[in-house]
Amino acid sequence: MAPMRPVDVAAQTEPSTPQSRETVFDIQGLKASYGSNVAVKGVDLEIYRNLVTAVIGPSGCGKSTFIRCLNRMNDEVPGFRQEGKILYHGIDLYGDGVDQIEVRRRIGMVFQRPNPFPKTIYDNVAWAPRILGLKKDLDERVEKALKGAALWDEVKDRLKKSALALSGGQQQRLCIARAIAIEPEVLLLDEPASALDPIATASIEELMHDLKTDYTLVIVTHNMQQAARVADRTAFFSLDVDESGQGAGVLVEYDETGKLFTAPSDKRTEDYVTGRFG
Amino acid sequence: MRVSFQEELDQLEASLQEEGALVLRVLRGALNALEQRDVELADEVIAFDDDVDRLYLQIELGIQTLLARQTPVATDLRLVLAMLHINLHLERMADYAVTIAKLTKLVADVEPDPPLQQSLQEMGERAEEMIRVALDSFADRDLDRAETLVELDELIDRTNRRFVERVVELVAEPELREWVLRMVLVSRTLERIGDHAVDIGEQVAYLLTAEFREFTDASHPEEHV
Repeated sequence: MAPMRPVDVAAQTEPSTPQSRETVFDIQGLKASYGSNVAVKGVDLEIYRNLVTAVIGPSGCGKSTFIRCLNRMNDEVPGFRQEGKILYHGIDLYGDGVDQIEVRRRIGMVFQRPNPFPKTIYDNVAWAPRILGLKKDLDERVEKALKGAALWDEVKDRLKKSALALSGGQQQRLCIARAIAIEPEVLLLDEPASALDPIATASIEELMHDLKTDYTLVIVTHNMQQAARVADRTAFFSLDVDESGQGAGVLVEYDETGKLFTAPSDKRTEDYVTGRFG
Repeated sequence: MRVSFQEELDQLEASLQEEGALVLRVLRGALNALEQRDVELADEVIAFDDDVDRLYLQIELGIQTLLARQTPVATDLRLVLAMLHINLHLERMADYAVTIAKLTKLVADVEPDPPLQQSLQEMGERAEEMIRVALDSFADRDLDRAETLVELDELIDRTNRRFVERVVELVAEPELREWVLRMVLVSRTLERIGDHAVDIGEQVAYLLTAEFREFTDASHPEEHV
Protein backbone atom coordinates (compact mmCIF):
# COMPACT_ATOMS: atom_id res chain seq x y z
CA MET A 1 0.00 0.00 0.00
CA ALA A 2 1.28 3.43 -0.85
CA PRO A 3 2.11 5.54 2.18
CA MET A 4 -0.51 8.10 3.05
CA ARG A 5 0.45 11.61 2.17
CA PRO A 6 0.16 14.16 4.93
CA VAL A 7 -2.85 16.37 4.49
CA ASP A 8 -2.11 20.05 4.41
CA VAL A 9 -4.93 21.25 6.62
CA ALA A 10 -3.83 24.88 6.50
CA ALA A 11 -4.04 24.91 2.71
CA GLN A 12 -7.51 23.39 2.79
CA THR A 13 -9.02 25.78 5.26
CA GLU A 14 -7.37 28.97 3.98
CA PRO A 15 -10.07 31.09 2.33
CA SER A 16 -9.32 32.08 -1.22
CA THR A 17 -7.28 35.22 -1.13
CA PRO A 18 -8.54 38.46 -2.64
CA GLN A 19 -5.68 38.22 -5.14
CA SER A 20 -7.16 35.07 -6.64
CA ARG A 21 -10.54 36.72 -7.21
CA GLU A 22 -11.71 38.77 -10.11
CA THR A 23 -12.35 42.38 -9.21
CA VAL A 24 -15.64 43.75 -10.52
CA PHE A 25 -15.53 47.17 -8.87
CA ASP A 26 -12.34 48.93 -7.92
CA ILE A 27 -13.37 52.00 -5.92
CA GLN A 28 -10.64 54.56 -5.36
CA GLY A 29 -10.94 57.60 -3.10
CA LEU A 30 -14.67 57.91 -3.55
CA LYS A 31 -16.27 61.05 -2.20
CA ALA A 32 -19.97 61.75 -2.77
CA SER A 33 -21.76 64.92 -1.73
CA TYR A 34 -25.20 66.47 -1.95
CA GLY A 35 -24.56 70.19 -2.15
CA SER A 36 -22.27 71.02 0.77
CA ASN A 37 -23.18 67.83 2.66
CA VAL A 38 -20.60 65.09 2.27
CA ALA A 39 -22.34 61.70 2.33
CA VAL A 40 -19.25 59.51 2.04
CA LYS A 41 -15.56 60.23 1.67
CA GLY A 42 -12.24 58.47 1.25
CA VAL A 43 -13.72 55.11 0.26
CA ASP A 44 -11.22 52.63 -1.19
CA LEU A 45 -12.58 49.16 -1.77
CA GLU A 46 -12.67 46.29 -4.24
CA ILE A 47 -15.76 44.20 -4.86
CA TYR A 48 -15.21 40.68 -6.15
CA ARG A 49 -17.07 38.62 -8.69
CA ASN A 50 -19.67 36.00 -7.67
CA LEU A 51 -19.58 37.00 -4.05
CA VAL A 52 -22.20 38.62 -1.85
CA THR A 53 -20.74 41.80 -0.43
CA ALA A 54 -22.71 43.44 2.38
CA VAL A 55 -22.53 47.08 3.37
CA ILE A 56 -23.53 47.74 6.97
CA GLY A 57 -23.44 50.75 9.24
CA PRO A 58 -25.59 53.13 11.26
CA SER A 59 -28.18 55.43 9.70
CA GLY A 60 -26.62 58.33 7.85
CA CYS A 61 -23.26 56.65 7.25
CA GLY A 62 -23.74 56.90 3.49
CA LYS A 63 -24.18 53.22 2.70
CA SER A 64 -27.16 53.81 0.38
CA THR A 65 -25.38 56.70 -1.33
CA PHE A 66 -22.39 54.43 -1.78
CA ILE A 67 -24.32 51.58 -3.41
CA ARG A 68 -26.21 54.03 -5.64
CA CYS A 69 -22.89 55.34 -6.92
CA LEU A 70 -22.16 51.86 -8.28
CA ASN A 71 -24.76 52.16 -11.04
CA ARG A 72 -24.98 55.93 -11.28
CA MET A 73 -28.36 56.18 -9.61
CA ASN A 74 -27.37 59.50 -8.06
CA ASP A 75 -26.75 61.21 -11.39
CA GLU A 76 -30.18 62.85 -11.49
CA VAL A 77 -30.15 63.97 -7.87
CA PRO A 78 -29.84 67.79 -7.81
CA GLY A 79 -26.56 68.98 -6.31
CA PHE A 80 -25.00 65.52 -6.34
CA ARG A 81 -21.27 65.53 -6.86
CA GLN A 82 -18.80 62.71 -6.94
CA GLU A 83 -15.01 62.59 -6.75
CA GLY A 84 -12.58 59.70 -6.96
CA LYS A 85 -12.95 56.76 -9.27
CA ILE A 86 -15.19 53.75 -9.63
CA LEU A 87 -13.62 51.32 -12.06
CA TYR A 88 -15.92 48.60 -13.37
CA HIS A 89 -13.74 45.87 -14.88
CA GLY A 90 -11.10 48.57 -15.19
CA ILE A 91 -13.37 51.05 -16.99
CA ASP A 92 -14.20 54.33 -15.26
CA LEU A 93 -17.98 54.22 -14.72
CA TYR A 94 -18.13 57.99 -14.74
CA GLY A 95 -15.71 58.40 -17.65
CA ASP A 96 -16.45 60.18 -20.89
CA GLY A 97 -18.48 58.20 -23.36
CA VAL A 98 -19.85 55.73 -20.82
CA ASP A 99 -23.53 55.10 -21.57
CA GLN A 100 -25.64 55.40 -18.42
CA ILE A 101 -28.29 53.03 -19.83
CA GLU A 102 -25.65 50.42 -20.53
CA VAL A 103 -24.32 50.84 -16.98
CA ARG A 104 -27.74 50.10 -15.53
CA ARG A 105 -28.28 47.19 -17.90
CA ARG A 106 -25.16 45.53 -16.56
CA ILE A 107 -25.62 46.64 -12.98
CA GLY A 108 -29.20 46.08 -11.83
CA MET A 109 -30.82 47.33 -8.69
CA VAL A 110 -33.51 46.15 -6.26
CA PHE A 111 -34.96 48.58 -3.73
CA GLN A 112 -36.21 48.45 -0.17
CA ARG A 113 -39.90 48.39 -0.99
CA PRO A 114 -41.08 46.06 -3.73
CA ASN A 115 -42.14 48.31 -6.59
CA PRO A 116 -43.80 46.20 -9.27
CA PHE A 117 -45.43 48.02 -12.17
CA PRO A 118 -49.25 47.93 -12.12
CA LYS A 119 -49.14 45.39 -14.89
CA THR A 120 -49.28 41.63 -15.23
CA ILE A 121 -46.58 39.46 -13.73
CA TYR A 122 -45.41 38.60 -17.24
CA ASP A 123 -45.24 42.21 -18.39
CA ASN A 124 -43.27 43.25 -15.31
CA VAL A 125 -40.52 40.82 -16.21
CA ALA A 126 -40.78 41.35 -20.00
CA TRP A 127 -40.72 45.13 -19.73
CA ALA A 128 -36.97 45.78 -19.66
CA PRO A 129 -36.10 43.17 -22.33
CA ARG A 130 -38.72 44.74 -24.64
CA ILE A 131 -37.31 48.23 -24.08
CA LEU A 132 -33.83 46.95 -24.87
CA GLY A 133 -35.08 45.18 -28.01
CA LEU A 134 -34.46 41.71 -26.58
CA LYS A 135 -37.74 40.42 -28.00
CA LYS A 136 -36.52 37.08 -29.32
CA ASP A 137 -37.61 34.10 -27.19
CA LEU A 138 -39.23 36.47 -24.73
CA ASP A 139 -41.33 33.73 -23.08
CA GLU A 140 -38.22 31.71 -22.37
CA ARG A 141 -36.48 34.79 -21.00
CA VAL A 142 -39.38 35.56 -18.66
CA GLU A 143 -39.52 31.96 -17.47
CA LYS A 144 -35.76 31.85 -16.87
CA ALA A 145 -35.84 35.10 -14.89
CA LEU A 146 -38.77 33.93 -12.76
CA LYS A 147 -37.04 30.62 -12.14
CA GLY A 148 -33.85 32.49 -11.25
CA ALA A 149 -35.78 34.49 -8.70
CA ALA A 150 -37.35 31.30 -7.26
CA LEU A 151 -40.83 32.53 -8.16
CA TRP A 152 -41.75 30.48 -11.22
CA ASP A 153 -43.52 27.64 -9.44
CA GLU A 154 -45.70 30.08 -7.54
CA VAL A 155 -46.79 32.18 -10.52
CA LYS A 156 -46.52 30.03 -13.65
CA ASP A 157 -50.31 29.55 -13.78
CA ARG A 158 -51.16 33.21 -13.35
CA LEU A 159 -48.61 35.08 -15.44
CA LYS A 160 -51.33 37.27 -16.90
CA LYS A 161 -52.64 38.29 -13.49
CA SER A 162 -51.72 41.59 -11.88
CA ALA A 163 -48.39 41.68 -10.09
CA LEU A 164 -50.01 43.79 -7.38
CA ALA A 165 -51.94 40.71 -6.18
CA LEU A 166 -48.71 39.03 -5.11
CA SER A 167 -47.55 39.02 -1.47
CA GLY A 168 -44.78 41.38 -0.41
CA GLY A 169 -42.14 38.67 -0.53
CA GLN A 170 -43.34 37.52 -3.95
CA GLN A 171 -43.35 41.10 -5.22
CA GLN A 172 -39.75 41.52 -4.08
CA ARG A 173 -38.74 38.33 -5.85
CA LEU A 174 -40.61 39.62 -8.92
CA CYS A 175 -38.48 42.77 -8.74
CA ILE A 176 -35.40 40.54 -8.63
CA ALA A 177 -36.75 38.59 -11.63
CA ARG A 178 -37.31 41.89 -13.40
CA ALA A 179 -33.74 42.92 -12.67
CA ILE A 180 -32.20 39.66 -13.86
CA ALA A 181 -34.40 39.39 -16.99
CA ILE A 182 -31.88 41.47 -18.89
CA GLU A 183 -29.01 39.34 -17.58
CA PRO A 184 -26.98 41.92 -15.73
CA GLU A 185 -23.65 41.01 -14.17
CA VAL A 186 -24.19 42.78 -10.88
CA LEU A 187 -27.24 43.09 -8.64
CA LEU A 188 -27.32 45.92 -6.13
CA LEU A 189 -29.84 45.38 -3.34
CA ASP A 190 -30.72 48.30 -1.10
CA GLU A 191 -32.24 46.81 2.07
CA PRO A 192 -34.21 44.32 -0.03
CA ALA A 193 -35.83 42.51 2.90
CA SER A 194 -36.44 45.31 5.38
CA ALA A 195 -40.14 45.58 4.44
CA LEU A 196 -40.69 41.81 4.49
CA ASP A 197 -41.80 39.34 7.14
CA PRO A 198 -39.29 36.74 8.44
CA ILE A 199 -40.40 33.97 6.06
CA ALA A 200 -40.22 36.21 2.97
CA THR A 201 -36.88 37.51 4.29
CA ALA A 202 -35.55 33.96 4.57
CA SER A 203 -36.58 33.22 0.98
CA ILE A 204 -34.83 36.37 -0.29
CA GLU A 205 -31.70 35.45 1.67
CA GLU A 206 -31.79 31.91 0.30
CA LEU A 207 -32.24 33.33 -3.18
CA MET A 208 -29.19 35.58 -2.76
CA HIS A 209 -27.17 32.52 -1.93
CA ASP A 210 -28.30 30.86 -5.19
CA LEU A 211 -27.93 34.00 -7.30
CA LYS A 212 -24.26 34.51 -6.55
CA THR A 213 -23.40 31.57 -8.81
CA ASP A 214 -24.35 33.76 -11.76
CA TYR A 215 -24.19 37.29 -10.40
CA THR A 216 -22.13 39.54 -8.22
CA LEU A 217 -24.30 40.88 -5.39
CA VAL A 218 -23.89 43.95 -3.26
CA ILE A 219 -26.42 44.37 -0.46
CA VAL A 220 -27.00 47.28 1.86
CA THR A 221 -28.63 46.14 5.06
CA HIS A 222 -29.24 47.61 8.48
CA ASN A 223 -29.77 44.08 9.76
CA MET A 224 -26.37 42.90 10.90
CA GLN A 225 -27.47 39.31 11.31
CA GLN A 226 -28.64 39.35 7.72
CA ALA A 227 -25.19 40.48 6.61
CA ALA A 228 -23.67 37.75 8.77
CA ARG A 229 -25.94 35.16 7.18
CA VAL A 230 -25.72 36.06 3.50
CA ALA A 231 -22.49 37.94 2.82
CA ASP A 232 -19.08 36.55 1.95
CA ARG A 233 -17.47 39.90 2.63
CA THR A 234 -18.75 42.80 4.68
CA ALA A 235 -17.91 46.49 4.61
CA PHE A 236 -18.63 48.51 7.73
CA PHE A 237 -19.29 52.22 7.20
CA SER A 238 -19.49 54.70 10.03
CA LEU A 239 -20.10 58.37 10.52
CA ASP A 240 -16.99 60.46 10.98
CA VAL A 241 -17.61 63.88 12.52
CA ASP A 242 -14.91 66.53 12.04
CA GLU A 243 -14.02 69.49 14.30
CA SER A 244 -16.63 71.72 12.68
CA GLY A 245 -19.34 69.19 13.51
CA GLN A 246 -19.70 68.14 9.87
CA GLY A 247 -20.35 64.43 9.53
CA ALA A 248 -19.43 62.17 6.61
CA GLY A 249 -19.61 58.44 6.03
CA VAL A 250 -16.29 56.59 5.98
CA LEU A 251 -15.35 52.99 5.34
CA VAL A 252 -14.03 51.67 8.66
CA GLU A 253 -13.40 48.02 7.93
CA TYR A 254 -13.81 45.61 5.03
CA ASP A 255 -13.12 41.92 5.47
CA GLU A 256 -14.37 38.36 5.23
CA THR A 257 -17.75 38.33 6.98
CA GLY A 258 -16.69 35.61 9.44
CA LYS A 259 -13.67 37.64 10.48
CA LEU A 260 -15.65 40.85 10.82
CA PHE A 261 -18.20 39.23 13.13
CA THR A 262 -15.79 37.20 15.26
CA ALA A 263 -12.62 39.25 15.43
CA PRO A 264 -13.06 42.72 13.95
CA SER A 265 -9.83 44.72 13.66
CA ASP A 266 -11.24 48.15 14.40
CA LYS A 267 -12.71 49.19 17.76
CA ARG A 268 -15.51 51.07 15.98
CA THR A 269 -16.57 47.89 14.15
CA GLU A 270 -16.43 45.94 17.40
CA ASP A 271 -18.60 48.54 19.13
CA TYR A 272 -21.12 48.59 16.31
CA VAL A 273 -21.54 44.85 15.76
CA THR A 274 -21.75 44.15 19.49
CA GLY A 275 -24.37 46.86 19.93
CA ARG A 276 -22.18 49.16 22.02
CA PHE A 277 -22.23 51.87 19.38
CA GLY A 278 -22.90 55.35 20.69
CA MET B 1 -25.43 50.07 24.65
CA ARG B 2 -27.19 46.78 25.36
CA VAL B 3 -27.30 47.08 29.14
CA SER B 4 -29.28 43.92 29.92
CA PHE B 5 -27.08 41.88 27.60
CA GLN B 6 -23.93 43.12 29.33
CA GLU B 7 -25.50 42.29 32.70
CA GLU B 8 -26.25 38.76 31.52
CA LEU B 9 -22.65 38.34 30.35
CA ASP B 10 -21.31 39.65 33.67
CA GLN B 11 -23.66 37.36 35.60
CA LEU B 12 -22.52 34.31 33.64
CA GLU B 13 -18.89 35.17 34.20
CA ALA B 14 -19.53 35.65 37.94
CA SER B 15 -21.25 32.24 38.06
CA LEU B 16 -18.28 30.69 36.32
CA GLN B 17 -15.88 32.13 38.91
CA GLU B 18 -18.22 30.84 41.62
CA GLU B 19 -18.07 27.40 40.00
CA GLY B 20 -14.27 27.70 40.01
CA ALA B 21 -14.31 28.46 43.75
CA LEU B 22 -16.51 25.40 44.34
CA VAL B 23 -14.10 23.24 42.34
CA LEU B 24 -11.22 24.44 44.51
CA ARG B 25 -13.22 23.55 47.64
CA VAL B 26 -14.18 20.13 46.40
CA LEU B 27 -10.59 19.39 45.37
CA ARG B 28 -9.22 20.57 48.71
CA GLY B 29 -11.76 18.31 50.43
CA ALA B 30 -10.68 15.35 48.32
CA LEU B 31 -6.99 15.98 49.06
CA ASN B 32 -7.64 16.27 52.81
CA ALA B 33 -9.74 13.10 52.79
CA LEU B 34 -6.94 11.32 50.96
CA GLU B 35 -4.24 12.49 53.36
CA GLN B 36 -6.24 11.80 56.51
CA ARG B 37 -7.95 8.63 55.15
CA ASP B 38 -11.19 10.30 56.16
CA VAL B 39 -14.13 8.34 54.70
CA GLU B 40 -16.70 10.77 56.03
CA LEU B 41 -15.05 13.71 54.35
CA ALA B 42 -14.76 11.67 51.13
CA ASP B 43 -18.53 11.16 51.22
CA GLU B 44 -19.04 14.88 51.70
CA VAL B 45 -16.87 15.55 48.66
CA ILE B 46 -18.94 13.14 46.59
CA ALA B 47 -22.18 14.82 47.70
CA PHE B 48 -20.74 18.30 47.20
CA ASP B 49 -20.25 17.56 43.51
CA ASP B 50 -24.01 17.96 43.07
CA ASP B 51 -23.61 21.67 43.82
CA VAL B 52 -21.00 21.98 41.10
CA ASP B 53 -23.25 20.10 38.67
CA ARG B 54 -26.18 22.39 39.44
CA LEU B 55 -24.09 25.47 38.77
CA TYR B 56 -22.67 23.86 35.63
CA LEU B 57 -26.18 23.27 34.26
CA GLN B 58 -27.32 26.74 35.24
CA ILE B 59 -24.40 28.29 33.32
CA GLU B 60 -24.99 25.97 30.36
CA LEU B 61 -28.65 27.03 30.19
CA GLY B 62 -27.71 30.69 30.60
CA ILE B 63 -25.33 30.44 27.65
CA GLN B 64 -27.92 28.66 25.55
CA THR B 65 -30.49 31.39 26.23
CA LEU B 66 -27.96 34.13 25.61
CA LEU B 67 -26.96 32.63 22.25
CA ALA B 68 -30.59 32.25 21.20
CA ARG B 69 -31.75 35.68 22.29
CA GLN B 70 -28.77 37.99 21.96
CA THR B 71 -26.79 36.47 19.06
CA PRO B 72 -23.47 37.74 20.40
CA VAL B 73 -20.70 38.60 17.96
CA ALA B 74 -17.05 39.66 18.06
CA THR B 75 -15.56 39.78 21.61
CA ASP B 76 -18.93 38.91 23.10
CA LEU B 77 -19.12 35.78 20.96
CA ARG B 78 -15.60 34.76 21.89
CA LEU B 79 -16.38 35.33 25.58
CA VAL B 80 -19.52 33.19 25.38
CA LEU B 81 -17.68 30.40 23.54
CA ALA B 82 -14.79 30.56 26.02
CA MET B 83 -17.25 30.37 28.94
CA LEU B 84 -18.95 27.36 27.35
CA HIS B 85 -15.60 25.52 27.30
CA ILE B 86 -14.41 26.72 30.71
CA ASN B 87 -17.69 25.60 32.26
CA LEU B 88 -17.13 22.09 30.95
CA HIS B 89 -13.49 22.00 32.08
CA LEU B 90 -14.44 23.07 35.61
CA GLU B 91 -17.17 20.46 35.83
CA ARG B 92 -14.71 17.77 34.73
CA MET B 93 -12.25 18.88 37.41
CA ALA B 94 -14.93 18.46 40.06
CA ASP B 95 -15.65 14.97 38.69
CA TYR B 96 -11.97 14.15 39.09
CA ALA B 97 -12.11 15.29 42.72
CA VAL B 98 -15.00 12.84 43.19
CA THR B 99 -12.86 10.09 41.64
CA ILE B 100 -10.14 10.84 44.20
CA ALA B 101 -12.72 10.69 47.01
CA LYS B 102 -14.05 7.32 45.79
CA LEU B 103 -10.56 5.84 45.50
CA THR B 104 -9.76 7.17 48.98
CA LYS B 105 -12.71 5.24 50.40
CA LEU B 106 -11.59 2.04 48.72
CA VAL B 107 -8.18 2.04 50.44
CA ALA B 108 -9.03 3.82 53.70
CA ASP B 109 -7.98 0.74 55.70
CA VAL B 110 -4.65 0.26 53.99
CA GLU B 111 -1.43 1.78 55.29
CA PRO B 112 -0.06 4.19 52.66
CA ASP B 113 3.49 4.69 51.47
CA PRO B 114 4.60 8.06 52.95
CA PRO B 115 6.80 9.27 50.03
CA LEU B 116 4.01 8.53 47.54
CA GLN B 117 1.46 10.13 49.81
CA GLN B 118 3.71 13.18 49.89
CA SER B 119 3.96 13.24 46.07
CA LEU B 120 0.18 13.15 45.73
CA GLN B 121 -0.24 16.07 48.11
CA GLU B 122 2.41 17.97 46.16
CA MET B 123 0.59 17.30 42.89
CA GLY B 124 -2.70 18.30 44.49
CA GLU B 125 -1.26 21.63 45.59
CA ARG B 126 0.10 22.23 42.11
CA ALA B 127 -3.30 21.41 40.61
CA GLU B 128 -4.93 23.91 42.98
CA GLU B 129 -2.38 26.54 42.01
CA MET B 130 -3.09 25.89 38.33
CA ILE B 131 -6.84 26.26 38.80
CA ARG B 132 -6.26 29.57 40.58
CA VAL B 133 -3.96 30.82 37.81
CA ALA B 134 -6.46 29.74 35.14
CA LEU B 135 -9.37 31.50 36.86
CA ASP B 136 -7.36 34.64 37.61
CA SER B 137 -5.97 34.91 34.09
CA PHE B 138 -9.55 34.67 32.82
CA ALA B 139 -10.85 37.28 35.26
CA ASP B 140 -7.97 39.66 34.52
CA ARG B 141 -7.84 38.90 30.76
CA ASP B 142 -4.14 38.21 31.29
CA LEU B 143 -2.57 36.31 28.40
CA ASP B 144 0.92 36.14 29.93
CA ARG B 145 -0.46 34.60 33.11
CA ALA B 146 -2.51 32.09 31.09
CA GLU B 147 0.61 31.02 29.24
CA THR B 148 2.48 30.31 32.50
CA LEU B 149 0.12 27.34 32.92
CA VAL B 150 2.31 25.39 30.50
CA GLU B 151 5.27 25.55 32.90
CA LEU B 152 3.11 24.73 35.90
CA ASP B 153 1.74 21.75 34.01
CA GLU B 154 5.26 20.55 33.30
CA LEU B 155 5.92 20.47 37.07
CA ILE B 156 2.84 18.40 37.76
CA ASP B 157 3.72 16.04 34.89
CA ARG B 158 7.21 15.62 36.30
CA THR B 159 5.90 14.68 39.74
CA ASN B 160 3.51 12.24 38.10
CA ARG B 161 6.44 10.56 36.29
CA ARG B 162 8.40 10.30 39.53
CA PHE B 163 5.35 8.82 41.19
CA VAL B 164 5.08 6.12 38.53
CA GLU B 165 8.79 5.28 38.88
CA ARG B 166 8.34 4.72 42.61
CA VAL B 167 5.21 2.67 41.97
CA VAL B 168 7.20 0.31 39.74
CA GLU B 169 9.51 -0.33 42.72
CA LEU B 170 6.69 -0.87 45.20
CA VAL B 171 4.16 -2.84 43.22
CA ALA B 172 5.90 -6.11 44.06
CA GLU B 173 5.21 -5.59 47.78
CA PRO B 174 1.95 -7.43 48.50
CA GLU B 175 0.77 -5.26 51.41
CA LEU B 176 1.13 -2.07 49.33
CA ARG B 177 -0.08 -3.40 46.00
CA GLU B 178 -3.74 -2.40 46.20
CA TRP B 179 -3.03 1.02 47.65
CA VAL B 180 -0.36 1.70 45.03
CA LEU B 181 -2.53 0.65 42.12
CA ARG B 182 -5.43 2.83 43.31
CA MET B 183 -3.09 5.75 43.85
CA VAL B 184 -1.76 5.51 40.29
CA LEU B 185 -5.25 6.54 39.28
CA VAL B 186 -5.27 9.41 41.77
CA SER B 187 -1.96 10.62 40.40
CA ARG B 188 -3.25 10.41 36.85
CA THR B 189 -6.41 12.25 37.89
CA LEU B 190 -4.44 15.14 39.39
CA GLU B 191 -2.35 15.29 36.26
CA ARG B 192 -5.56 15.53 34.19
CA ILE B 193 -6.85 18.38 36.36
CA GLY B 194 -3.66 20.23 35.42
CA ASP B 195 -4.39 19.57 31.73
CA HIS B 196 -7.89 21.04 32.09
CA ALA B 197 -6.41 24.13 33.74
CA VAL B 198 -4.14 24.52 30.70
CA ASP B 199 -7.20 24.16 28.47
CA ILE B 200 -8.86 27.01 30.36
CA GLY B 201 -5.73 29.06 29.73
CA GLU B 202 -6.11 28.31 26.02
CA GLN B 203 -9.67 29.61 26.13
CA VAL B 204 -8.38 32.81 27.74
CA ALA B 205 -5.89 33.12 24.88
CA TYR B 206 -8.67 32.56 22.33
CA LEU B 207 -10.81 35.20 23.98
CA LEU B 208 -7.94 37.70 23.85
CA THR B 209 -6.37 36.91 20.48
CA ALA B 210 -9.25 35.34 18.48
CA GLU B 211 -6.86 32.54 17.51
CA PHE B 212 -7.47 28.89 18.24
CA ARG B 213 -4.23 27.34 19.38
CA GLU B 214 -3.04 24.71 21.78
CA PHE B 215 -0.34 25.81 24.19
CA THR B 216 1.20 22.37 23.88
CA ASP B 217 0.71 19.79 21.21
CA ALA B 218 0.76 16.33 22.77
CA SER B 219 1.95 14.75 19.50
CA HIS B 220 4.69 17.38 18.97
CA PRO B 221 5.72 18.28 22.52
CA GLU B 222 8.93 19.97 21.41
CA GLU B 223 6.99 22.71 19.63
CA HIS B 224 5.15 24.13 22.61
CA VAL B 225 5.34 27.87 23.31
